[in-house]
Amino acid sequence: MSSSFAITNARLVDPASGHDGPGGILVENGLIAQIGEELDLNSADEVIDAGGKILAPALIDLRAAKEPALTPDGENQSSLAAGAAAGGFGTVVLAPNEHSPLQTAGGFAGMTRALGQHGVRVLSAAAATQDLAGESMAEIGLMAKAGAVYVSNGDNPIADTQVLRRVMSYASQFDLWLSLRAAEPGLSCGAVATESDWSARYGLPSEPTMAERIAIDRAASVAALSGGKLMVDRVSTADGLAAIRDARKRDIEIAATSAIAHLTLNEVDAGGLDSAFRIDPPLRVEDDRRALVAAIADGEIDAIVSDHRPTPFDDKGEPFALAIAGTLALETLLASLLALVHDEELSLVEALRPLTAGPADLLGLPQGRLKTGAPADLVLIDGDTPWVCHPDDFQSPRGNSAWAGRRFIGRVTQTFVDGRSIYNYNG
Amino acid sequence: MTRAAFSYDFPHRHLVSVADLNPVDISLIFERAEHWRAVNKTPDKSSDALKGMTVLNLFFENSTRTQGSFEMAAKRLGADVVNFAIAHSSAKKGESLSDTARNLAAMQPDIMVVRHSATGAPQFLAERTGLSVINAGDGMHQHPTQGLLDVFTMNRHWGSVGGRRILIVGDILHSRVARSNIGLLSMLGADIRVCAPPTLLPTDIDQWGVDVFHDLSEAVIGCDAVMALRQQRERMSGGFIPSGREFFHLFGLSHDTIRRAKPDVLVMHPGPMNRGVEIHTKLADDPKHSVIMEQVENGVAVRMAILELIGANIRKEAAA
Repeated sequence: MSSSFAITNARLVDPASGHDGPGGILVENGLIAQIGEELDLNSADEVIDAGGKILAPALIDLRAAKEPALTPDGENQSSLAAGAAAGGFGTVVLAPNEHSPLQTAGGFAGMTRALGQHGVRVLSAAAATQDLAGESMAEIGLMAKAGAVYVSNGDNPIADTQVLRRVMSYASQFDLWLSLRAAEPGLSCGAVATESDWSARYGLPSEPTMAERIAIDRAASVAALSGGKLMVDRVSTADGLAAIRDARKRDIEIAATSAIAHLTLNEVDAGGLDSAFRIDPPLRVEDDRRALVAAIADGEIDAIVSDHRPTPFDDKGEPFALAIAGTLALETLLASLLALVHDEELSLVEALRPLTAGPADLLGLPQGRLKTGAPADLVLIDGDTPWVCHPDDFQSPRGNSAWAGRRFIGRVTQTFVDGRSIYNYNG
Repeated sequence: MTRAAFSYDFPHRHLVSVADLNPVDISLIFERAEHWRAVNKTPDKSSDALKGMTVLNLFFENSTRTQGSFEMAAKRLGADVVNFAIAHSSAKKGESLSDTARNLAAMQPDIMVVRHSATGAPQFLAERTGLSVINAGDGMHQHPTQGLLDVFTMNRHWGSVGGRRILIVGDILHSRVARSNIGLLSMLGADIRVCAPPTLLPTDIDQWGVDVFHDLSEAVIGCDAVMALRQQRERMSGGFIPSGREFFHLFGLSHDTIRRAKPDVLVMHPGPMNRGVEIHTKLADDPKHSVIMEQVENGVAVRMAILELIGANIRKEAAA
């Protein structure tokens, strides 16, 4: 693409400023040079007529997973990046998980450099504890120097409060968030479902939603004690939201993310015990989903994460209670979220804020906003195109999607990073 | 009632949960079970209802009684029976359940009898293989043939369970037997009580349409049947009760604790029993009350009835 181009005749949506209206953008040398209805098109080498499509900052995901290098048939860096670009993402952060704990300080800088080779900005979080076991600290400082953008203990809670206090306190010297999955270990251990009428009747091992609240209350108190910054990873219940509100009243530095699955699905989706809906945290009841959507509208949740988790079909080749948790989400996140906009549960600005300015502000990133001088990380969205989710059409070599077969309205048509087109949909 | 009275044929080719059944289905099963029960008392037990068919017993959890009961039922109906104890083979080699099932299905059996520790495994196998599946117990979810044989046993004593007061005592939380029994008994209009410490009750028990008690002496008042459940030790992590001894003194069935029930109260247990934990050994062996051995005998007849009805539907489909 030329070093200078303009996109005109678009519906500009900038959640950072709350702007939603007609206009265009002029890009020069990878940066946003002008914004508005009157652009100086003389300096543009190329002009793209958006035809009224939505033009927004490219999306930012704070929680995705790839598979370990060289996994046969697995998702690798390049398929992950291709899927992200197709989903409208300009920035993706890898979070630690048991297969890739992201704890090797030695190779960390090299890994982050390699991740940058695929068009999409791929960043990485660092493990909080060795093997995510919650016992001894990982080399947080060395990984912070090598570019880690936050600290996380993956899917595991840190059971030992003394360890939690030290990790939070230690991470605070690098001004990094500690992202914690809010699960009280005793109550949540082995759970595959939410404690509810549905799970009790099926006799599924389940956790009460209060397990999330207890975990957040505890972690917030430890944050107060240690002066650390707590990022609640994938809050999923109304009880959890109440705990976050309480913590904010106490002036604790606390942020919250929520996974797209919990905003768009509930336990009824898993009612047929389809292993595709085995997700961690488990899917909740509809009242919890509504509370989460209301919290998005109120700006209480800073970021929506994909929690993208490529999994071999074999891992889903077990009944619900034994299947590996997780779903692909990068390529369907925007479309499933747009369903909430079409249903008028959210406005477009409310829906996009936790995918753009929200996560950018948490990590101090310059992208995620339509602002003169900001990196030209942009996405063009056709808000009205109907399509059906077929995992065979995914960029990902995996197919474990909880949205397989769903009908969507609205899709990404083009994604730019640093003013370069990294994805262009040709119907 | 006879089959002709309904002009309705048993429509199922699986039995995954008691929720799949309606009261007429249950009558059809019991009508045939009564027949097979009588046949089983004669020296000429063999039939050719399932002749030519293969029944696969797929037990991912150990079982003596249920597996033996199904095997005997299928053999008496003339089927070929193959027992796979998967707990010790493929699952240990890292094969997924889906692959195991497809391989076994490729051997062309007709009916799979499945026991598995995970809720939904029988349904999962039915979906993946297209074979007829009978659930012989899945996790803490359902054990439909046990529920049916329990109700059949009660029906034989009373004619019908409708309006009868039935108490289930013990580990309701982990019990698939309780879930199947409560489903059937409430469908058939029984007055159901449960009695257990709160730690052994499901959280939504208040919505199961049962009366909940924590005091056994009150719970037994006026009961027509009292059913003890086995302590599911293998499903327990952490302490649900302090000790077997304490449980026996608070919730164990004995001649003393059932004294305020109806004088001819039936005492039931799905087995295997922990004598001295959930039931006093003298009560378990008292022929005046205990119908535990009848339950075992009826189990074979009820399973024959289910296999026969499902087998007939398989033949009908193959003919069509």
